[in-house]
Amino acid sequence: MKTFIVLGSLFLVLSSLDVSAFAANEAPGTKNKEQAAEIYRPVAGKFPDLAKAHTYRGELVFVDHVNRRGSLRVLGVGVFRRNDPHPFAMLPYGMIRYHGAPADLRDVPLGTIMHVTAYLPPDPKLSSVPVLPVDSKDRDANHYRGIGVFPAENHVLLLEDEPSYCQRMAMTWKLKGLDLEKPPGPVLATLESKQGGEGKATEQKLTFDHATRIWRGREALSVADLIAEGMKSLDGQALLLGLTWKPTPDGIFLRLHIADIWLDEASLQRAAQNQTETHKAFIRSRWMPAYVDHVEYGKFGRAKVTVTPFGGMDPALYADFQKGSTMLINAAENTLKHAGGHYGPAHMASKGPIADVSKPDGAAPLGSSGMQVTMETDLIIEGIRPGKVVRIRAAVWPAVDLPREEYLGDGEFRLEDRFPSPAIFPKY
Amino acid sequence: MFVSAFAANEAPGTKNPEQAAVPFRPESGKFPPLEKAASYRGELVFVDHANRRGSIRVEFKSEFFRSPPTPVALLPYGMVRYHGAPADLRDIPLGTILNIKAFLPPDPKNSSVVTTPNHWYPLPPENHAILIEDEPSLCLREGKTWRLKEVDMKGDLGLVVATCEPKDAPETKATEQKLTLDATTRFWRGRESLKLADLIAEGTWPASGKKSLGRQSVLLGLCWKPCPDGIFVRYHISDVWLDDPSTQRAIRSQTEVHKSLIRSRWMPAFVDNVEYGKFGRAKVTVTLFGGMDPSLYADFKKGGQTAINGAENTLKHAGGSYGPAHMASKGPVLEVVNASGAAPMGSSGIQVTMETDLIIEGIRPGRVVRIRASEWPNLYVPREEYIGDHPSVEDRFPSPALFPRY
Repeated sequence: MKTFIVLGSLFLVLSSLDVSAFAANEAPGTKNKEQAAEIYRPVAGKFPDLAKAHTYRGELVFVDHVNRRGSLRVLGVGVFRRNDPHPFAMLPYGMIRYHGAPADLRDVPLGTIMHVTAYLPPDPKLSSVPVLPVDSKDRDANHYRGIGVFPAENHVLLLEDEPSYCQRMAMTWKLKGLDLEKPPGPVLATLESKQGGEGKATEQKLTFDHATRIWRGREALSVADLIAEGMKSLDGQALLLGLTWKPTPDGIFLRLHIADIWLDEASLQRAAQNQTETHKAFIRSRWMPAYVDHVEYGKFGRAKVTVTPFGGMDPALYADFQKGSTMLINAAENTLKHAGGHYGPAHMASKGPIADVSKPDGAAPLGSSGMQVTMETDLIIEGIRPGKVVRIRAAVWPAVDLPREEYLGDGEFRLEDRFPSPAIFPKY
Repeated sequence: MFVSAFAANEAPGTKNPEQAAVPFRPESGKFPPLEKAASYRGELVFVDHANRRGSIRVEFKSEFFRSPPTPVALLPYGMVRYHGAPADLRDIPLGTILNIKAFLPPDPKNSSVVTTPNHWYPLPPENHAILIEDEPSLCLREGKTWRLKEVDMKGDLGLVVATCEPKDAPETKATEQKLTLDATTRFWRGRESLKLADLIAEGTWPASGKKSLGRQSVLLGLCWKPCPDGIFVRYHISDVWLDDPSTQRAIRSQTEVHKSLIRSRWMPAFVDNVEYGKFGRAKVTVTLFGGMDPSLYADFKKGGQTAINGAENTLKHAGGSYGPAHMASKGPVLEVVNASGAAPMGSSGIQVTMETDLIIEGIRPGRVVRIRASEWPNLYVPREEYIGDHPSVEDRFPSPALFPRY
């Protein structure tokens, strides 16, 4: 473990990201080949080096949102349908993006194709998903499944759906040969840079059918609506697509399906606004997750606590932490479950005024908000130590009680609550 | 007989007190009488769609947030309805408030969920569902509507006073309920997908303060969010369908999703009868399960070809490494009969008789099978939706150990 911490510290390099909630236009996953032999694991209390992440895509097959984990059918070069659902867990600061906005796992429909940026388990002993050999991503899974469908990098920093990915990477889809009157039909599609470029984008075949939803401005349309308008094709138009997967005939290894088409910017903005509001309401009731950076101990249980809120949220949420206002802080687990909550998370939380809100110089790493909040409390407890995960609440947020599965029990506390076992995932 | 997929206008859940002492359990191969079902509602908290089970936070007259998610499994013929249309568990967003009609486990030994929820909360032992439906589906089935009486907007949050009552009845004394809504609430009008801000901009909704809504008739989608001030339970409005065209559009969209699913996964059915011939030949009669779009049933025609495959109570195909058709028994459809009289809930009321030269163990009276109409695409299903060729017991009989105990 000590070795991992030392290695992790050595390799921790802050990437040149914007302080905004979201690191745009990154191209993660390109590992330095010279360092490929080194085993990199994220370290508690620190945000990992994006350059050391492994990236892949997969279909969301199973969700245990309470423990921030699930399963993905990972896209490879082989027969997609044969790929067993592959368990993943969100890192405490791991971010989910849906419809171009922050999200929780519970917001993402099963079947959605997701882009994944992930690492090896930070601490294999405590992993809530099965731990695999570190070279798993280079192994052939046999049974015509190919290489890379069971990567050991199953602790996720960024999980995003197709429109979120395209927006972050400034890319857009273009369709060719789409005949709206012939669903379920294959259609040729290319994913291209919005700015254009010299390279020729690779054509992919996708399918669509009568269940495909089409969004235009404030309208929710079907294929039949477009046909009724006299539209026969969407060829050449810049689009954003929501992707899913359906079983395909004729022995095709992999062909993705179009679940949603956003025809214009206005429609996607509306989807993003809706998801942003959903997530804002969610964080206000569940509190903002953060790392404890520093504790300056006083007397009789008093302390000054400095935390870094996690990234990826709407700026309005961060703006609610104002110097001089009151704040609450409660211990949490790596799953972001509150520690104790039978009487609401505020019951056992430490309270006090915000002494300072700062934005340290330099770019924030992905996972971090790039801001620090310092509060003073007269109740410093074990759960609020440097490197621990906490949840903090701004004074203006509502005081609500959380559902039973989202906090650790008080009296009947069990180890499984704190450290969920990977045993729930079926073995095929 | 009304061949429709759905037995409408039933009033299940009211148990006969005289029979209360005798625990009723559904029997394999038969559709249970609906009047023996228990009814309750709650929030969908967890889904294991591959095994047709999940967890529900059941509504009691108590603090809702304390109610621990209780596991529920779908009976093989159990139906899911979402947005007034047939659905699969995978289609329903977590957090949706669902109405449930359920029975005791048919065979407690093989239950995929705990058989005796032991908790100081009165969790229902009837956890094998015949019907799981969201709020608009319930209202459409029972001919009800939500009438919005008044809204009080305070900041981002609105408090709505509404009643749920029969659509065609004159003003009734239905109990008023308080519901919340906010900027996450979706409003559907014709083909429009609107936000609260759109309605405020139009002037049909107040930006702040109280406004009478004149008993406006709408359909509501409900979810739950933690509420302040010690309120036991107050539901949140996730969706409002403002008119019938918007409702019909939602129904059509979900129907298409489900049709596509059934065509690729095949129609589930009970085996009613097997008339054995020689050298593995047999005439097999099955009853198709209910709750689907009529166009799916119409695909089974006399003279057409069909394929029939063994399945489990979870509706997982038996064997599928090379697609469900690989091990399926094939043959012509000899007859399609619409049974006279009303079909019980869970049944389509349609019997299909086919002939095959490959009668196997999985196709015995009382067993669950899946059958495919000849024009449906020949597809492979994903790994978690079939039993492996060398199955573990867990594949066939999923253990309840998946569910945490609170």
